Amino acid sequence: MNEQEIIDITNRVFEESFEIEKERLKPEAHIFTDLGLDSLDIVDLVAALQKSFGVNIRSEEKVRNIRTLQDIYNFISAIKKEGR
Amino acid sequence: MDYLKIYSLNLYSYILFAGYSAVCIPALTLFVAFMSLIVGHRRAMRLFRRAIAWWSRGILLVPFPFIKVCYENDSGDTTGEPYIFVCNHRSFSDGFLMAVLPVEGVQVVNIWPFKIPVIGFFARYAGYLNIRMMQSEEFFDRAVQLLGDNVSIIFFPEGTRSGNRKMGNFHSAAFRLALKSKAPIVPLCISGSENIPPKGSLLLRPGTIRVRRLRAITWSEYKEWSVFTLKNRVRELIGTELSLMENRV
Repeated sequence: MNEQEIIDITNRVFEESFEIEKERLKPEAHIFTDLGLDSLDIVDLVAALQKSFGVNIRSEEKVRNIRTLQDIYNFISAIKKEGR
Repeated sequence: MDYLKIYSLNLYSYILFAGYSAVCIPALTLFVAFMSLIVGHRRAMRLFRRAIAWWSRGILLVPFPFIKVCYENDSGDTTGEPYIFVCNHRSFSDGFLMAVLPVEGVQVVNIWPFKIPVIGFFARYAGYLNIRMMQSEEFFDRAVQLLGDNVSIIFFPEGTRSGNRKMGNFHSAAFRLALKSKAPIVPLCISGSENIPPKGSLLLRPGTIRVRRLRAITWSEYKEWSVFTLKNRVRELIGTELSLMENRV
C-alpha cells in the first residue's frame, strides 16, 4: 500500500464515517479543532481505521499523540511498513 | 450608548443581582428544604430545579428594559418531556437563559461553573452534569436515568463560548445520548447574547437576547442516522435559523 492509498482511504473514513467534507481534509487539519472530533469520537475513528486498513491499532500508545490528519497518515504508514 | 451609561447600567444591575440573590436564594433554599420534609425526594428535586429556574428568571428581569430577553416558541411540539436541548453558546449569560424553558432540566456544564461560589454548589446539588469530570459511561448512565425521570438535558455542544456570532464545531455527546435514549432533540438558537457580557468581561451591554426554540427532531426521524449525521443536521438547522434571525441570509 503506497502513501497515496493511505491518504485516500483515511480521507474516505472521515468523509463516510464522520461526514466531513472533502475540502476540509487537509494534511495539516487538526482532528479536534478543525475537523470537530472529540474524545468520544476517537473510539469510532480507531474502529473505522482498523476496519478500513485491516490493522489492530486499539492497543497502540501512539494513537494518543495523533493530532492532525498527517499524523494519522504517518501512523498508518508506519504500521503498514512494520507489516502488522 | 456612551461608557458612563454602560457603567451605570452595570452598577445598577450588579447591585440588584446581589440584593435579589441575597434574598431569593436563602428564601428558596428554605422553601425547598421545608418541602423536602413533606414530599418525596423526586418531588423535592423537581422543586429544587424549579427554584433555580425561578431565581434565574428573576436574574433575567433585573436589567430590563436595558436588556430584554424574548423566548420564541413556534415549535408546536406535542412530543412531551423529556427533551434533549441543543443550543449554540456565545456568552456566560446563556446558562441563565435556559430558565425560559418550561421544563425541568439540568445543564451539561464544563468544570468552571461548578467552581463559582453558591451557583456551583446549587448546580452540583441539582444534578447538573459535569462532562469533563465524569467517565463517559457514568455520564451517559446518569443522563439516561435523568431522562427516565422526565428531566430534560440541556447541552451547549460547542463546549465553550464563541464570544461572537460564529458557531464552533459541535461535540457529539448530546447526539450519542439521543441515540441511546431515543429522546427528542430540540434545537435552540440564542441570538444577541454575545455582548451580554462579552467573552472575557463582566461588562453588560444593552440589547435584546432572543431564544428561539425549533421543532423537536423525534426518534422516528433520526433513528436511522449516525451520530455525525444527527450532529451535522442539528448544527445546520441552528446555523440556518440564526442567519435568519440575524438577517445574515
